[in-house]
Amino acid sequence: MFNFINNSNIFIWIERLTNFINSIFFVLLLAALSFALILSPPDYLQGDSVRIMYVHVPAAWIGLASFTCIAFMSIVNFIFKIKYLTLITKSIAPIGLMFTCIAIVTGSIWGQPTWGTFWVWDARITSMSILALFYVMFIAIQKLISEEDRANKISSLIAAVGLINIPIIKYSVEWWSTLHQPASIKISGSSTIHSSMLTPLLLMFLVLILYCALIFLMKYKTEIIRIKKKNLKRYD
Amino acid sequence: MINEFISMNGYGIFVWSSFLITFLACGIFYYKTRKTLKKYEKEFAKEIEELSIEQKKTVLENSKIASKVLSSYNKTI
Repeated sequence: MFNFINNSNIFIWIERLTNFINSIFFVLLLAALSFALILSPPDYLQGDSVRIMYVHVPAAWIGLASFTCIAFMSIVNFIFKIKYLTLITKSIAPIGLMFTCIAIVTGSIWGQPTWGTFWVWDARITSMSILALFYVMFIAIQKLISEEDRANKISSLIAAVGLINIPIIKYSVEWWSTLHQPASIKISGSSTIHSSMLTPLLLMFLVLILYCALIFLMKYKTEIIRIKKKNLKRYD
Repeated sequence: MINEFISMNGYGIFVWSSFLITFLACGIFYYKTRKTLKKYEKEFAKEIEELSIEQKKTVLENSKIASKVLSSYNKTI
């Protein structure tokens, strides 16, 4: 069974998965955009500006989930030294940074019609900006330090420290008085969002998750080839 | 009706710019990632081609990845 988990088999599975995602991606994207921009109703308070939610919320979820994954994998890697985990965290980090930035920018655009301002230093926005900084530090360490072991140790430490920020982001709307509304979708307990808005939100989330998977697979493949290229130098 | 859809009761500029920024960022990021992958594949294939016949044979026998990359590179040129 362990023979299955080697770079050659992973490489073949990456190609199969990439082809599968490519085959369904545009159909799902079209459906998600139709629901988000045409079929879903406007909000009784916010009007059509609520449609920004369909890109803002999935982007924020992906930004948070990616960093949580990176942090846990970095901690496990720090203890057990599993080389695959380094490749995975390195591949996830740029995706997480991009979606965190998208969440901040689209949130800022949503803030103008809703709160009358593009930016306020409230707890949720500030903690999300700190998350983006942790991403930048994590990626910068991997790029700037050439000694791989040292870079992994420092970036693991950054990820572990950054993990503290995740519950702060999640509960910031409850702990402090902020402009942000409390969560409408709860994993445990009943959600307060209507199904006509929940459907496009989940569809858009699915599309963006598939996009992330596609990028992750390409980045992981690049990392495998980079390692193979390095090993090839032994023949010189 | 189309004007209504575009203006979104005055919120069009905010909604469209949010979607545009998101999909533009995703598009650029996809293009850059794909370009980097292709660059690495090309460099790796070129390095395999530069090996001596014996070394090349050993590499291709021992690595499925090397033979996959080389065959896909040969298809593109």
